[in-house]
Amino acid sequence: MKKQTYQYAESPFNMSRREFITIGGIVIALLALPAVWIRSGIAKRNSYIRARTKGLYTDDTQSKVRVSHGNTAVSKMYTDFAQHPLSEISEELFHTHHYINRRAA
Amino acid sequence: MGSKEFILKHSLGVRIFHYILVVSFVPLAFTGIVLYFKPYDELTMNLYMRIHVILGIVLTLDAIAFFLVGFERVVTFVKRMFTFFGDDVRWFTILGGYPQKFLLRKKVPVPPMGKYNSGQKVFGICVVVGGTILIVTGWALWAFPHILPVGMVLLFGNLHMIFGWILSIFLLVHIFLGIYMFDDFKAMFLHGMIPYGEAEETAPKWVKTELVKIENHV
Repeated sequence: MKKQTYQYAESPFNMSRREFITIGGIVIALLALPAVWIRSGIAKRNSYIRARTKGLYTDDTQSKVRVSHGNTAVSKMYTDFAQHPLSEISEELFHTHHYINRRAA
Repeated sequence: MGSKEFILKHSLGVRIFHYILVVSFVPLAFTGIVLYFKPYDELTMNLYMRIHVILGIVLTLDAIAFFLVGFERVVTFVKRMFTFFGDDVRWFTILGGYPQKFLLRKKVPVPPMGKYNSGQKVFGICVVVGGTILIVTGWALWAFPHILPVGMVLLFGNLHMIFGWILSIFLLVHIFLGIYMFDDFKAMFLHGMIPYGEAEETAPKWVKTELVKIENHV
């Protein structure tokens, strides 16, 4: 079987060097831009968590009472009414035996 | 011009790139559509996802290899795709004469085109832009969702879905017109050559300005 041949092909000089560098540069830049954008997005992804943490630490520093068991309102409630944590009256009023199963809902 | 003369339209490198593109993208589109509609049970859907991922990796390697090895072809392709002339506007007004040909069996004069006609240019832009977006978002969604911000993952998911649909629909038109232009189909899948007369009719600007006569090549 005779092999088919071709007599014409595209000229290798259809594009000038300047044109090649310009278009090639634009293509590479457009491919690099999303990479930069994604990278900066990853770097900033937990910024809101960090801001929240910073806010909580600031609140903590500024607070007079920094521990839950130092809460004067709770201490007063135990002294005047519920005696002490895990007392009979505390158990009866504060402990619950039911909960919402969110997974089953 | 003798009818037995041929033009090398698609070089071997381009054809190999296209072969791998075909065997990866066609099943990628199919599995992507299945993954979108989720018609099967979890086990089958997992299998489809694995196939989708493996073919995505094949497509990525194909694109990277062609980008590195045939960068000059990539630049030429991008230039051709993003260069529009008055003839392109006129081509769109009659849609390349295809509706007249298919629906009315009528041949209307078509403005002279380059290597790619205006419809192919739009398809080419979709392939370059959409293909890049699909590859980038696909990798991000598969391999790096845990390190990306939630909003970005959501955006990538939507972009992947939108461009997946656009390219899948375009693919059907591309396959149909590709087979319809049978000389071009043979050139892409077999020997890379098209008859001079055919090119003169469909791509007169290309023939006139971008080709050179060479010694016989096998």
